[in-house]
Amino acid sequence: MSMDIFLQQLLNALSLGGTYALLALGLAVVFSIIGLINFAHGELMTVTGYAICFALIWGLPFPLAVIAGLVVAIAAALLMERIAFRPVRGASGTTLLLTSFAVSAILRVLFQNIISARPIPVSIPSSMSGVVTIGPLHLGMIQLISIVVTLVMLLGLNLFLHRTMAGRAMRAASEDFAVLRLMGIRANFVVATAFAISGLLAGVAGLLWVAQRGSVDPLMGALPVLKAFIAAIIGGLGSLSGAVAGGFLLGFIEVILQAYLPDSLLPYRDAFAILLVIAVLLFRPQGLLARKTLVKL
Amino acid sequence: MPRIGIQAVKGTITLALPLIALAFVAEFFLPAALARLATLYLIYVTAVVGMQIYSGNSGIISFGHAGFMAVGAYGASLLTIQPAVMSTSLPDLPVWLAGIAGGQPLLVGMLGALLVVGVVAALFGLPLSRLGGAAASIATLGFLVIIHVTLVASADITRGTQTFFGVPRGVSTLTALPVALIAVAVARIYRDTRGGLSLRAAREDEIAARASGVNVVRQRFLAWVLGGLVSGAAGVLLAHFLGAFSPKDFHFNLTFLLMAMLILGGISTVSGAVGGTALIVVMVDLLRRLEGGAEVFGLQLPQVFGLTDIGVGLVILAVMYRLRDGLFGLREVDERLFPEPVVKATPPAQSGASDNVSLAIEGVGCRFAGLVALDDVSFAVRPGLVTGLIGPNGAGKSTLINAISGVVPPSSGRVLLNGTDTALVPVHEVPTRGLGRTFQNIRLFRNLTVLENVIVAADAVAGPGEDSRAAAMAALAVVGMQDLASRPATSLPYGAQRRLEIARALALRPSFLLLDEPAAGMNPAETDALISVLRQIQAAHRIGLLVVEHDLKLIMRLCDRIVVLNKGQMIAEGTPEEIRANPAVIEAYIGKRRAAA
Repeated sequence: MSMDIFLQQLLNALSLGGTYALLALGLAVVFSIIGLINFAHGELMTVTGYAICFALIWGLPFPLAVIAGLVVAIAAALLMERIAFRPVRGASGTTLLLTSFAVSAILRVLFQNIISARPIPVSIPSSMSGVVTIGPLHLGMIQLISIVVTLVMLLGLNLFLHRTMAGRAMRAASEDFAVLRLMGIRANFVVATAFAISGLLAGVAGLLWVAQRGSVDPLMGALPVLKAFIAAIIGGLGSLSGAVAGGFLLGFIEVILQAYLPDSLLPYRDAFAILLVIAVLLFRPQGLLARKTLVKL
Repeated sequence: MPRIGIQAVKGTITLALPLIALAFVAEFFLPAALARLATLYLIYVTAVVGMQIYSGNSGIISFGHAGFMAVGAYGASLLTIQPAVMSTSLPDLPVWLAGIAGGQPLLVGMLGALLVVGVVAALFGLPLSRLGGAAASIATLGFLVIIHVTLVASADITRGTQTFFGVPRGVSTLTALPVALIAVAVARIYRDTRGGLSLRAAREDEIAARASGVNVVRQRFLAWVLGGLVSGAAGVLLAHFLGAFSPKDFHFNLTFLLMAMLILGGISTVSGAVGGTALIVVMVDLLRRLEGGAEVFGLQLPQVFGLTDIGVGLVILAVMYRLRDGLFGLREVDERLFPEPVVKATPPAQSGASDNVSLAIEGVGCRFAGLVALDDVSFAVRPGLVTGLIGPNGAGKSTLINAISGVVPPSSGRVLLNGTDTALVPVHEVPTRGLGRTFQNIRLFRNLTVLENVIVAADAVAGPGEDSRAAAMAALAVVGMQDLASRPATSLPYGAQRRLEIARALALRPSFLLLDEPAAGMNPAETDALISVLRQIQAAHRIGLLVVEHDLKLIMRLCDRIVVLNKGQMIAEGTPEEIRANPAVIEAYIGKRRAAA
């Protein structure tokens, strides 16, 4: 394989894996605090896509449309928490899971009825869809942007969690929520922050997804978030670094399968990817970077 | 041969009668459209009951059972498809398959499909059953996607995303009925078998289930395969009811529908699956009529795409917000209406543990990332005697208990139970080899009855033909709790919960019993009752007790031997008198000032 094809594949893997990583990270942030696997995370992506799409239709310049999309994503995540998930806070994981499953399905039907069941095109600036030529290499612009954005988000979140008061409260909450509340930190604040972060991460992932595909539809978020679920378990549910690792791993597996599977087997790619990843669980049932949980017997 | 209890038979009949009545009324008295609805209902009951077998007993929500239905549907339809249609619709069928495909009777299709479903379920069950909780749920979702992708990709066999047609439509109410009845019987009987009960115990508390001898991974695997077969059978019926279908008919929308059916009635019971399915089938049928923009009381309603999905979603939310255990709650209808009478048992004149049992702690040390929690601890727990383990906070008592029970193997040294190193056997085998335990923070199977709590442990050691129920009642008699046998464990007062844990451990017929702070949080009266129970156990059963306690008075009253730990070191061992007089113990445990005084 020539150098630039190899590099292109590497970029593909990094950008796809990065998107999965952002999504899985958003899931893990919420899971680590309240034990919810948010099925409706994908709908946050979709909402972002629609927000960007309509902002552009209304004539906002692209950067403002992106900001609008992210603001809407965060607002939607906060609303979701307030309306749908607060009534079941503290319930079993099963209850939380089913609640979010229902929320996700209802939102999809609403998108189909209120907006459209068909994909709506989004006009992405041509500067984002070009090819960058570095010496002999031709690399996709959008992949490069994805990678940079992913890295910035990961670094930013890391700084937030370690350097700010709110971030430290979040990390403490993921260790032991009850004790944190005894310290006088309001539970609602911590949970809302977690949802805001997950909304932002879903928004960025949604932006990157729309930028690659150029359209939005009601089911846009379903497939990538499904992959992110799987990435999150592989990493070890609730472990933030595990979610990122799992996301990149899944991205690499998919790109490698895409590149090396014979044509006759290519349609099975997703099945192979999920199987490979689940096979990991045979050897590490707790995931790659499991959270150390101390169970008091 | 699985255990078929009288209660399970009663339950099966209770649920079967309405289904039989419905089928006959539908077949002979109702118009065709309603008869079709009744058939569909019976098919969905089969599918949901299959989910209930896995999800209801393990507590793990499954998104995968629509996948089993898909495998069943395609598997059977390939065998039964009309040969004339097959030659045009599936021209690229692989040779090995073309030889057997087409023209077979429905029963052959069913058996062939279930064979495939069983293999698929077993293969995926291997990794899946090692997972619990949310991770397992997501893995079942992965299973659904794998099945879907595979069906779409295998276009030579399935026609890919295109409709698979030409399947003989032979399923009526009376064909679906026997399958639904078998499904209900299998699920209801399974619930009360050793496997079903122990899986329900693991659902309530996995750690306590392992400590009661339950092989959780194996039970999850069996329930996954059994439930898969039942749902697969529903898929076979659905295919031969519809006659034509495509992979998307067995994807998220179906999963969503099945989920609502399961949780509306209540995931824990077969009754809930049967009842909840009925309500959702009726609701969905009504909503479908509205979806097309029907006229209600002269009002023309607009067309709403996906109204049924919204309805189903709202039902799920309503159940989650208001009624988490579903309409039927945690007990089966038969268990409420015709409970099995509790027959008191007399505690057996047990010969007790034989003399050639031993529990030896040999040079046990535990290190956690540089922290030495335990260092070179050696002593023996003697059969028929009470050994106390005391020490100030942080002395390493809990670490030692976990090492002895095999939960956290020691980093050095070993624990020999009747000569076997407990670190080398699976955690769930340590209890059945003669070491029972209780927990510092009570770990009961909260939503099982008192009797069921104990039966789980009795089952783990029961030989073929032995009556675990009687053995469990006998164990309850030892702690004086026979009268409470049919109460849910969670409804017991605190002291009784502690005693129930002891009864559960006793039902393992242990040679040694490890009690982790049994008197913690008890009032003096409860503590006295506890002491008399422990004395009785010690006297009647010759069990060696190892008691960890903070309550020094209790330890001094109860124990024959005492081991003292401090900062990970064993600083003394001896009779209560020796320990009371040991200056090192007084200094470490009671404090220097008191020691001087």
